Amino acid sequence: MNTNQKEHDIINQYVVSPARMEFDKFIVPAVTIFIGLLLSFFMLFPLWTILTMSFFKGGEFSLLNFTLENYHKYFTTSYTLNALWHSLYVSAVTTVIVTVIIFFFAYAMTRTTISGKPFFRNIIMMPLIAPSIVQALALIYLFGRNGLITAHLLQIDWNIYGSTGIIVSEVLYCLPHAFVILYTTLSAVDIRLDEAAESLGATPFKVFTRITLPSAKYGIFSAAALTFNLTITDFGNPVVIGADYHVLATEIYAQVTNLYRFDLGATISIILLVPSLMAFMFNYYISRKTFSMISGAAKPVIPPSRPLKKILYKTYCILVSFSIILVFATVVVGSFVKTWPYDWSLTFQHYHFPSIGGYSAIWTSLWVSLIVGIVGAFLTLVAGYVMETRRPYFKQLLYLLSVMPAAIPGLVMGLGYILAFNKPYYIFYGTPWIIVINVVICNFTLGILSSISNLRNIDPSIEEASISLGGDALRTFFKIIFPLSKVAFFQNFTYFFMRSMTTISAVIFLVSATVHLAAIEIIMLDNDGWTASANAMCTVIIVIVMAMLGILQLVQKKTSKRPSVLQ
Amino acid sequence: MSKKLVLEKVRKTFGPLIAVDDVSLDIIPGEFICFLGPSGCGKTTILRMITGFEQPTSGNIIYDGNIINDIIPQKRDFGIVFQSYALFPNMTVEKNIAFGLNMRKVPQKLINERVAEILKLLDLSGWETHYPSQLSGGQQQRVALGRALAIKPKVLLLDEPLSALDAKIRVRLRVVIKKLQQDLGITLIYVTHDQEEALSLADRIVIMRNGKFQQIDSPFDIYKKPKTSFVAEFVGTSNFISGKKNNGAVKFGNLQFMSSNLNEVENEKVYLAIRPENIELVGTTISYEDCVKSNVVESVVEVVNFIGAVVRITFMLQGEEMVFDLPEKEFERSGLKRGQKIRLYFPPDTFHVYSEFFDKLI
Repeated sequence: MNTNQKEHDIINQYVVSPARMEFDKFIVPAVTIFIGLLLSFFMLFPLWTILTMSFFKGGEFSLLNFTLENYHKYFTTSYTLNALWHSLYVSAVTTVIVTVIIFFFAYAMTRTTISGKPFFRNIIMMPLIAPSIVQALALIYLFGRNGLITAHLLQIDWNIYGSTGIIVSEVLYCLPHAFVILYTTLSAVDIRLDEAAESLGATPFKVFTRITLPSAKYGIFSAAALTFNLTITDFGNPVVIGADYHVLATEIYAQVTNLYRFDLGATISIILLVPSLMAFMFNYYISRKTFSMISGAAKPVIPPSRPLKKILYKTYCILVSFSIILVFATVVVGSFVKTWPYDWSLTFQHYHFPSIGGYSAIWTSLWVSLIVGIVGAFLTLVAGYVMETRRPYFKQLLYLLSVMPAAIPGLVMGLGYILAFNKPYYIFYGTPWIIVINVVICNFTLGILSSISNLRNIDPSIEEASISLGGDALRTFFKIIFPLSKVAFFQNFTYFFMRSMTTISAVIFLVSATVHLAAIEIIMLDNDGWTASANAMCTVIIVIVMAMLGILQLVQKKTSKRPSVLQ
Repeated sequence: MSKKLVLEKVRKTFGPLIAVDDVSLDIIPGEFICFLGPSGCGKTTILRMITGFEQPTSGNIIYDGNIINDIIPQKRDFGIVFQSYALFPNMTVEKNIAFGLNMRKVPQKLINERVAEILKLLDLSGWETHYPSQLSGGQQQRVALGRALAIKPKVLLLDEPLSALDAKIRVRLRVVIKKLQQDLGITLIYVTHDQEEALSLADRIVIMRNGKFQQIDSPFDIYKKPKTSFVAEFVGTSNFISGKKNNGAVKFGNLQFMSSNLNEVENEKVYLAIRPENIELVGTTISYEDCVKSNVVESVVEVVNFIGAVVRITFMLQGEEMVFDLPEKEFERSGLKRGQKIRLYFPPDTFHVYSEFFDKLI
């Protein structure tokens, strides 16, 4: 008892450091303010600059300078006005095609018993690992003026340049994005509804039109809105395959880089922002409804599909997958043959990149992407932690700021950056760091949403347990929350890394004479007629992203060998 | 080592909802106190205010003479065991228990000694390098207890700590907790909705309903002398008879029940509560001659439930369902069956008399 008493006295002499507790009071407000300022300065400020540039003479914000001249000029010049109609047309057609294709594809994955589903699911996600230019490059090799299929196999004069090319390439690019949404929707909708209808004597067609379609309605709308947004804001595919078919995105680029009309570029940016913002808000509205449709009920096994249904769906899935594989195969093979499609002898010559950037662009892309991955994943996790578990003041405002980037086209954000930060005192301007910041901010939304959903899976008592034992915010985060969020952290890292390696529109305005990026080099090479080298650069990016995915899979497998981390 | 903890007119509101309504309580050092009540009665809110995760809207929480309303949880040195245990899944048993000591920068040598001591105390030796997910529910519960005890807390607070466990383990851990508390002489505050747990563990039980204290008493007094009809109904089982007073008796339909303590209540209309074990089966547990004749009623057996040591029999009285308990041996002797006519005796001195009745438990 005596020794026990003595020891008790000793342990109670140690208390939680008062300095730490004082510091603790400031850490949450400090992080909140930091994230708020970060998003304000690197998102709101550039947007504001674009807005003033388009509405005020010389971009000088004052009542006297207010003008609608830019807009007047835009809407009265048929050339620029056409870009709007082109954009809307291309996006609308793409949206319809993608939604229909993906609905049946997702239906096959969730409601039929065809074999090879994991394979199909992997293939449909492939477009995510390449810049949104790979589709256009492949289509030109296949259906261009010198296309393998058009000029050589069929020997016809038709080629794919223009609106058809844009639509086909955008369809192939948007498939994975729409698939994620519709797959989630269709797996969440209770399949027993279909069974109930069948047991009541409804024909398969009636079940499909009266039950399956309506129950997936919100998912369909949401996928459509996302596809529309992706297509109308995409730059890479239309710039390569559009030829003289101008869309808003390419028009912004042309105004700024060819004509140095920053005011018109800003004006078109605002015009592009309107439909993409509308699509985003529609999607946001819809996705809130979707959640209420998802039931937590256990899902019964899918009943075996009839043989004919199986054959039809399997053929369909093979066709869709084949198109995607064809795109990638064409680009990869095209980068290794001497002269597509005349001389098929293998060569590495296209990998001696003749542009200024060359291999340095790949290295820059790689290290920039690694930093973007780490910074992005860490920042969104910290922001999510502060918002979700520490409930600071202005939480709603911070949340709104965090989801806004998804509504802003990358090209618009990029233009905003040059307009806002092209001043000597912004020392990060013209360095790779502005690219790091830009890519992190542009992709902030998805990062923070997945961080928050992960944090919601952690029992709130765990955080309270740490606090009651004397843990402050910093140590609670690093010793408990961070280790428990490892999987989400890796997922976010992968996402940010992939986006950074493959994005074109966000950073095309930010590369400079000294800073080159691999994805932008593709456009430069293609522009200068080095199409095979553009394909080679594309292949390099694909290989890097795939290698990173492989490494992360290994790391995750290793860490998951330890006893399960989440309760 | 524990000091006096006082709740002084503590009130907590969440918007329009009054979760805790001006409650006061003195907790004696070393006392085992149970907050018992249906879900939503405010018992967990009180616990969270004592731990510092919520601040009272008004009133004070006083420890050792100091108001601690605004002291952050980290500085209170109170140990908490959560309903979900909230063990850190990424740490071993050892690391979980050492966590609080690490936060206090206790030297490693002392930590090792303390952890070993705790492991021994809770019979967890040999499990130190295991992760929580590799332990059984009962073991996880003991680790949670050990983690809270490691920092030598001034007060130990447990929030429905056994609710996730199997019945057998629950009973065994009850003994563990009670023994620990007695050995350490620590003030222990225990929140539960399980009356059996409260009755078997607590020195005093606080019965809560709608944010208010209904009764604060020893388990024996809570059961034997429920102060309100709510307590009578919530703890154990009671049959209620309502009616108007009439010459020292209560009119219940066309029956008259004599009750010896009617003058405890002023009201004209009263509610009599009687526990199932206090109702006697005439001819088996009591002979007709020994009965106050007005309190003998006739009824019919509706349902027979075999519970174990006793058999619970449901019967109808004036259109209301009631139950009485018969020791299993007596039941065997009487040979009661469904539909059989019975005569029951309600002894006048076993009634509790109330002026109000809570017909719903919430």
